Amino acid sequence: MTHPSEMISAYLDGELIEYETSELLSHLVTCGRCSADLVEMQSVRAAVRSLPILELPAGLLPDTEAAVVPIHRNRGVWVGAAAAAVALIIAIASIVTPPPASISADDLSSRFGARASLDPAFSPAKVVVPVLGDLSE
Amino acid sequence: MKRLVSLVVVFILLPVSAAWATELDELLEQSREAAYTAEQIISCSTPDGVRDAVVRIAQSNGEIRMTSTVAGDIEVSSGDGGWTLSRRGGVISSASVDSEEMTPVEPLYVVEDAGSAHFLGRVATVHQLIRDGVLRAELVFDDETGALVTATTFTTSGDTYCERRFVSFDPTDPVFETPDLLEAEALQPRSEVETLLPESVGGFDRLDIYEDEEGLRFAYYSDGFFSFAVFETPTTVALPDANPIQFGEGVYQRSFTAGQVTYVWETRSGGMALLGDLPPDLHESVLATLPPPEDPGILRRLWRSLFG
Repeated sequence: MTHPSEMISAYLDGELIEYETSELLSHLVTCGRCSADLVEMQSVRAAVRSLPILELPAGLLPDTEAAVVPIHRNRGVWVGAAAAAVALIIAIASIVTPPPASISADDLSSRFGARASLDPAFSPAKVVVPVLGDLSE
Repeated sequence: MKRLVSLVVVFILLPVSAAWATELDELLEQSREAAYTAEQIISCSTPDGVRDAVVRIAQSNGEIRMTSTVAGDIEVSSGDGGWTLSRRGGVISSASVDSEEMTPVEPLYVVEDAGSAHFLGRVATVHQLIRDGVLRAELVFDDETGALVTATTFTTSGDTYCERRFVSFDPTDPVFETPDLLEAEALQPRSEVETLLPESVGGFDRLDIYEDEEGLRFAYYSDGFFSFAVFETPTTVALPDANPIQFGEGVYQRSFTAGQVTYVWETRSGGMALLGDLPPDLHESVLATLPPPEDPGILRRLWRSLFG
């Protein structure tokens, strides 16, 4: 199992079946990176949950408007919750989305090959088959 | 008296070491000057299984062109600081480094003549490369042309790591059908670069260091025969078909091809990679002297996923 960020997220959401939970927990025991991910995700969620529910100060909204649309009394709460939700989504997305890999192994192979060709030991004994990425046309 | 004896011993041994040292250089230099076409089988026993390939090689004037069966019509042209990966005349990847101010490699190998042999119906000479009393490679050179026709590398325990053997050999100067496709601008060796790459790694010396405009740095390390490059990259490196491998507390992604190993890992500042022909028994000690894998943390991951 590589680093199953999606499974960690699903685990925290209680969406894993028993077998998957067991598999993930076994992996967490041996993988420091995933254990750290789990702790971070939990802390982000805890931070979001701990955000205070704000009450609008009395008189901030005109009474008439409040009377017509009562839900506006809690607008601050909704805005705060929406912002927190967006932040949570971005945070989780950043974890489950692999970071952009703009450098390919082929590029590195080429640079290594270029430098190796200047090596006095460069010969058929040093010819290497490069790592070939996606070469589909 | 003891001092005098020591001095005499040193003066006797010094020229002998120098003679051994130049011998490997001379053999390899001779091999580079040979002109021929050949088919070579590469077979490497790696911890992740056997990696093999058949490579068609044409060498002339120090330039090597090879076509591998790995991806059919992929061709690699290499020599004099250039490297081009192409397919049907179209460049896939290209790199170039400047050949000025190359640091000479401190000789570490003793070369022993292991006798004559007949190889592909031709007379050849076998040489063994020994470092610190351990046989690390056996090289067979064609007597008439000087071409290196077989190279076998070993781990410290004496197991074969890679065997490269010519299965056909035509000692006539090849005519390269396609023109030189090198497109990349040559990188210059840098003398002063702020880097995490150490000057010595597991008994290998850093010979030179390069940096491109996008902040990618790499250093070239060699012990006179085996060599590798360590890259410090601003982003992570994509490595297809890699397997996770743990050394110490760090988890690396590793991939073997016939003759080359590649490691990539993530650090707080970006990514790192190691590419080279190191035998597997040296991997852990070399990686242990490099910056270890680090979790970049949630904020850095967020930043990288949003802005690269």
